[in-house]
Amino acid sequence: MTLDDAKVLVDAPGGRHANPARHRPDLLAWAGAALVLVGALLPWAAFVLPGGAYPDRATLQFFDAPHLVSGFRLHLVLLGLAGLAGRARRPAGIGVVVIAVVHLAFLIGLGAPSAGGPVALVGGVLLVWRRPAVPALSLPLPGRVLAWPALLAAFAGLLWLVSATLTAGGQSRATNPHGGAEFLAFCGFAFALVGVLSAYGVLTWLAALTQRHRIFAFTVMLACALLLPVTGAGTGYWMTVASTIGVYAATAIGLNIVVGLAGLLDLGYVAFLGIGAFTAANLAHSVPFPVAALAGAAVAGFFGVVVGAPTLRVRGDYLAIVTLAFGEIFFRAAQNDIGGLTGGVNAIPGIPPITLFGQAFNQPVGALPGGFLYYGLAVLLVAAAMVVLVNLKHSRTGRAWEAIREDEDVARAMGVRTGRAKILAFLVGATMAGLAGAVFAHKLGTVGYESFDFSESVTLLAAVILGGMGTVPGAVVGASLLFVLPEKLREFSDYRLMLFGLALILIMRFRPRGLVSSS
Amino acid sequence: MATLAQQIVNGLVLGALIGLIALGYTMVYGIVQLINFAHGEVFMVGAFGAHFISLYVLPEGVPWYAALPVMFLAAVAVSVVVAMAMERLAYRPLRGAHTLAPLITALGVSILLQEVVRVFYPGATAPLPFPRAFPDGSLAVGPVTVLWTGVLALTVAPLLGAAVHLYVERSRLGRAMRATAQDADAARLMGIDTDRVTLATFVIGGVLAGVGAVLYGIHYTQIDTAIGFQNGIFAFTAAVLGGIGSIRGAMLGALCLGLVKSLAGQYAWGGAQYDYVWVFALLILVLMFRPQGFLGRPERVRA
Repeated sequence: MTLDDAKVLVDAPGGRHANPARHRPDLLAWAGAALVLVGALLPWAAFVLPGGAYPDRATLQFFDAPHLVSGFRLHLVLLGLAGLAGRARRPAGIGVVVIAVVHLAFLIGLGAPSAGGPVALVGGVLLVWRRPAVPALSLPLPGRVLAWPALLAAFAGLLWLVSATLTAGGQSRATNPHGGAEFLAFCGFAFALVGVLSAYGVLTWLAALTQRHRIFAFTVMLACALLLPVTGAGTGYWMTVASTIGVYAATAIGLNIVVGLAGLLDLGYVAFLGIGAFTAANLAHSVPFPVAALAGAAVAGFFGVVVGAPTLRVRGDYLAIVTLAFGEIFFRAAQNDIGGLTGGVNAIPGIPPITLFGQAFNQPVGALPGGFLYYGLAVLLVAAAMVVLVNLKHSRTGRAWEAIREDEDVARAMGVRTGRAKILAFLVGATMAGLAGAVFAHKLGTVGYESFDFSESVTLLAAVILGGMGTVPGAVVGASLLFVLPEKLREFSDYRLMLFGLALILIMRFRPRGLVSSS
Repeated sequence: MATLAQQIVNGLVLGALIGLIALGYTMVYGIVQLINFAHGEVFMVGAFGAHFISLYVLPEGVPWYAALPVMFLAAVAVSVVVAMAMERLAYRPLRGAHTLAPLITALGVSILLQEVVRVFYPGATAPLPFPRAFPDGSLAVGPVTVLWTGVLALTVAPLLGAAVHLYVERSRLGRAMRATAQDADAARLMGIDTDRVTLATFVIGGVLAGVGAVLYGIHYTQIDTAIGFQNGIFAFTAAVLGGIGSIRGAMLGALCLGLVKSLAGQYAWGGAQYDYVWVFALLILVLMFRPQGFLGRPERVRA
């Protein structure tokens, strides 16, 4: 036990938590909330910018129409109001700080900052600083009559949040020069929203509800995911982005089985995606998609066993290096067009889109945007991968994997057949990646070796770690974050890998169990 | 026959350079059982440090015998500082964490360093020509020609390797290192400051990587941000091949690896395009069938 732990123990019964001052109104915090509200109504930009007004008519507006606040000003008003309530103060304050810092930074970059930003920033800092120390609430679990509508509402809210995040700031820098700022500021608001809900114990409560009504929750979630195209994010562009994310998320779920459940660090995992993609690409002209997809999965699964075989002899760090070596061998072989199967530097072009009942998947259906069908396929792929992961995790095999992850020698002593379990983990993970690879090939229409280099393996690994190793939603959350952010923040694309590296270090240091995990 | 001899010499030069990096891997692994994935990047930043000094600090027209020592010093300084920062900021807080955490952190450090150099060093997005800080021309022995830079590498690397070996065997700090490698807890009980020993190990690794970086730069005449990762993997392979934790093994493994790469590129199926594949295949085979390498002891099961 360190000194800090000891101090907490001493503090806990009396001290700050039982301080009678808690019941008195905290004037500074209220002042912070008031500053946020005032900041929301003050002008943010000093003059009308050449490219048009700063977002949400933030220029030169001063109380002329407080009832018309929209965009980030509305978010600030909402967070300021939330900041009046004790528990919500800290997340609301963080959200305000993010919004204010982002807009200030952009406005300073444009040379036009005005009073609104600094005032809101001070208010936000006050809110963060004057947080009350109260434990999270734990809410009672209701019966089915209340639970089902609550889950419906929750997932509808989630759908709104995802759609709003995707569309925040528009899709192109050409039409909206302030898109990056708007998107980042919206992320701050979304973070604050989730934080406020978490502070009131709503998230834990929802997680428990989902756990209890698993099948209902899963159905609703699937329905919500399939409804995304009818929200504001339902453009061809976002459908394409979202289906790419879906493919990577399904791959990440496969990797989650290998790394998260069985604890076998695989640094060449993207090779299985590549094997699936190249197999499907070679078969695309001769067999229908389902056959090509199964073939891709089967070939990838076979190579999964080949790569997994050394796990019987090698463990820990050494295994990671063996998988890295396999990944590099695949990459070099694909680069050199081994056996004429990968096209080498020319890639394999002209893979036809998936066609079902005469409907090509890249064409729009009725009023739905083009790419909707690929999006639907990707959602089904992710859903299937999640079902497999959940069922495996709670099965005998899954428990064997977790035992191996915690301590291989003990697991073996307890009668777990470790060799078979480890190979099975590689087989399942690789098969999943191969299937995703087949969709990947058909969706893109071109497959080249560059898509499967080491940095892609690292990205997938980062997705799994970021989301939380071994958790079910983790890989999806991680993959969404890692593939949406570069899409939305193209002006920072140079720093993408750098930030990955930093994130890996910081997460291992401060939250080694990932973002989703509660521990 | 001439080709064979020439390829053997080429392989030995590469092996000598790789050996300097491999020593860093093997020593760190010996002390803290960490595969310091980012050690290749220590080598890479050293090369860029030397490039920076020579291009932006040294005046034009400095003779090579004056420029070369300055470049060595710069490379070593940059490498050592980066290696120390890495140990203090990234690895030390994780000591005793679960097994995959340090490896993933090392991966993060590696990517971070590569990208920082690529984005912020002027012109580093493409390969950069390395200053020619050594006489051109070559030594001809019968049908074989060796560049003078190759001769330098073949001289300096074994000497440094021997120096490190002697230092670890004879000096007080070296004895502390060996004690820490055998049993860190017992070493601590005997009054050895194991944190200091670990830091010293990273420093030695940094010195060797810095020297190796300059030798690499003047021999292959261009550098880019990928040389760290690529040669780091080679060096790790060499360290494993020779028996990780063994200093003589690392040198021996590196020479072997250099020979395999250059000979496989010449004679094996697929030619030079596939020489990497043979190196990686060798790595897999060694890890599977003789993970203790040529000179290492069989690994005991760690709790």
